[in-house]
Amino acid sequence: MSPGSYNGGAVVAMIGKNCVAIASDKRFGVQMQTIGTEFSKVFPVTEKSYVGLPGLTTDTQTLQEIFRFKANMYKLREEREIEPRTLSKLVSSTLYERRWGPYFVHPLVAGLDKNNQPFICAMDLIGCITETCDFVVGGTSEENLFGICESVWEPDLEPEDLFETISQALLCSIDRDCFAGWGAVVHVITPERVITRTLKSRMD
Amino acid sequence: MECLIGIVGKDFVLVAADATATSSVNIFKTDEDKSRDLNKHIIMLYSGEAGDAVNFAEYIQRNVRFYGIKNGIELNPKAAATFTRRELAQSLRSRKPYMVNLLIAGYDITKTTPHLYWIDYLGSSIEAPHVAHGYGSYYTVSFLDKHHHPDLTLEEAKILIKKCIDEIKHRLILNLPDFKIKVVDKDGIREIVI
Amino acid sequence: MTDRYSFSLTTFSPSGKLVQIEYALNAVSQGVTSIGIKATNGVVIATEKKAASPLIDDSSLEKVANVCPNIGIVYSGMGPDFRILLTKARKAAQKYKRVYGEYPPTGILVKEVASVMQEFTQSGGVRPFGVSLLIAGHDETGPSLYQVDPSGSYWAWKASAMGKNMVNAKTFLEKRYNDDIELEDAVHTSILTLKEGFEGQMTENSIEIGVIGSAVGYTEDQKPIFRKLTPSEVKDYLANIA
Repeated sequence: MSPGSYNGGAVVAMIGKNCVAIASDKRFGVQMQTIGTEFSKVFPVTEKSYVGLPGLTTDTQTLQEIFRFKANMYKLREEREIEPRTLSKLVSSTLYERRWGPYFVHPLVAGLDKNNQPFICAMDLIGCITETCDFVVGGTSEENLFGICESVWEPDLEPEDLFETISQALLCSIDRDCFAGWGAVVHVITPERVITRTLKSRMD
Repeated sequence: MECLIGIVGKDFVLVAADATATSSVNIFKTDEDKSRDLNKHIIMLYSGEAGDAVNFAEYIQRNVRFYGIKNGIELNPKAAATFTRRELAQSLRSRKPYMVNLLIAGYDITKTTPHLYWIDYLGSSIEAPHVAHGYGSYYTVSFLDKHHHPDLTLEEAKILIKKCIDEIKHRLILNLPDFKIKVVDKDGIREIVI
Repeated sequence: MTDRYSFSLTTFSPSGKLVQIEYALNAVSQGVTSIGIKATNGVVIATEKKAASPLIDDSSLEKVANVCPNIGIVYSGMGPDFRILLTKARKAAQKYKRVYGEYPPTGILVKEVASVMQEFTQSGGVRPFGVSLLIAGHDETGPSLYQVDPSGSYWAWKASAMGKNMVNAKTFLEKRYNDDIELEDAVHTSILTLKEGFEGQMTENSIEIGVIGSAVGYTEDQKPIFRKLTPSEVKDYLANIA
């Protein structure tokens, strides 16, 4: 049993028309046993950028604390919010510092930059960034998500359609993954506001 | 082998830990208290490798007490759990990690809310309405999923935890003859007998 | 007995002054004049470059320097001290890029350099830097010009002068500056200001000029670049003035 699938979890991010969405399941488990059902793996870093940290929960939590600290210090020092692209470099360099004893996570970054241009990227556990213009996926449902996203994603989705697309993609994926599920949470980031909704799913 | 159970009620947390001290195949005693009071309103239950568990629990206890003395204000349950989680997460990547699983139960006196945290030896921490560690958890979590509700009274919770313990005694192949049961609420921590 | 206690050189005097810092400022005010002007579309920094002897190969002297593609720097005061700060500033810029994938905004780099200079006013066994710096940069907030002093204090300027001819130069700049000056004019003004206190013949080899702005050039990722003017470019400017 690898560290990346010990606790389970799934995160997906998608680009729409002038908006991005990022979603996560809510299961927290230890191998086959479900312990908690209110554990989202997606965290806000600024008003318009989010980071998803599926993987080993202890590292998910440690990194969330680290990025909250670093983003807060950045804001105080530079008197501006960190841009999503810059945030992804920060995440990457933080992970690479632990090159020979890595945090077992598969981070995703999603957000709108200062010109409200959508940005999403994924990286591996030592911080190698992959930036895409459609969708990124991570967690124990990674393969399932790739398949469904490839089929349902299309360019220039409006916020409401993007919400529907990402929700269906995530729900379909976690229903076929016994390590993820137990409800989900979706954030759709638009220039005006962030729409956060929780989803019901199969609770088994 | 060891078993810790926690249930959050309307305005209290009820926790139970098996009282069996073992070493390999031997039972040494059956009235061991596997808990430490972190302060007047927070209790920590521990299980795991014999030396590690007590040493870690007392290390956390002393630091939480010291915080209270130094700052003239006590840590709330969330802060105590966050601190403890951080210590375990740092320990995990040290030369010799602590092999300790914990429950932290507390009553937040400023917000007047009960809290229960489940923390494992890796440093994963979640807050939940009812949790358990150990083999006993296979029987108790499903049972509590069925019977737990947010407005649980202490009398109801006592009955639930009694049923959990009976189930463990009944189903588990291991012999866990006795449990220590404690309650945390606005008046502090006290042991109760069922 | 007293020399057993090694106090920092920068201990407060009874009147509340840090005399070492004042002495460092004296070193600056004896230094060669430097000018900086912020224009609407860029910044220019300039200084005199006079070799102590005609036998020195003055093409090897560098007083206006690049810190990173979007930031340039010039000094008045002690050359060796400047090179230490320049190295530290360049390293800070690269460290920032290593973490954030982009070069620092001007203000951040200035804070970094200023905190190094402040540290040398409070640490034991060191002396303050005998230089003042003019730092010119361009970032997402636009062009900016900062001056940093030996004490570690810094200000953003529209136009500033430091060194030997500071007082006259500042008076001159106050007369010539206006808020909608463009970079081309600013370069002219900076040369004229230097000329005010210049001894001897001003040539393309006896002044150094650095510019940054939208009209100057861009990096690969389309950000304005800091660049030193070549002697032949300086020669053209001088020809226009004369």
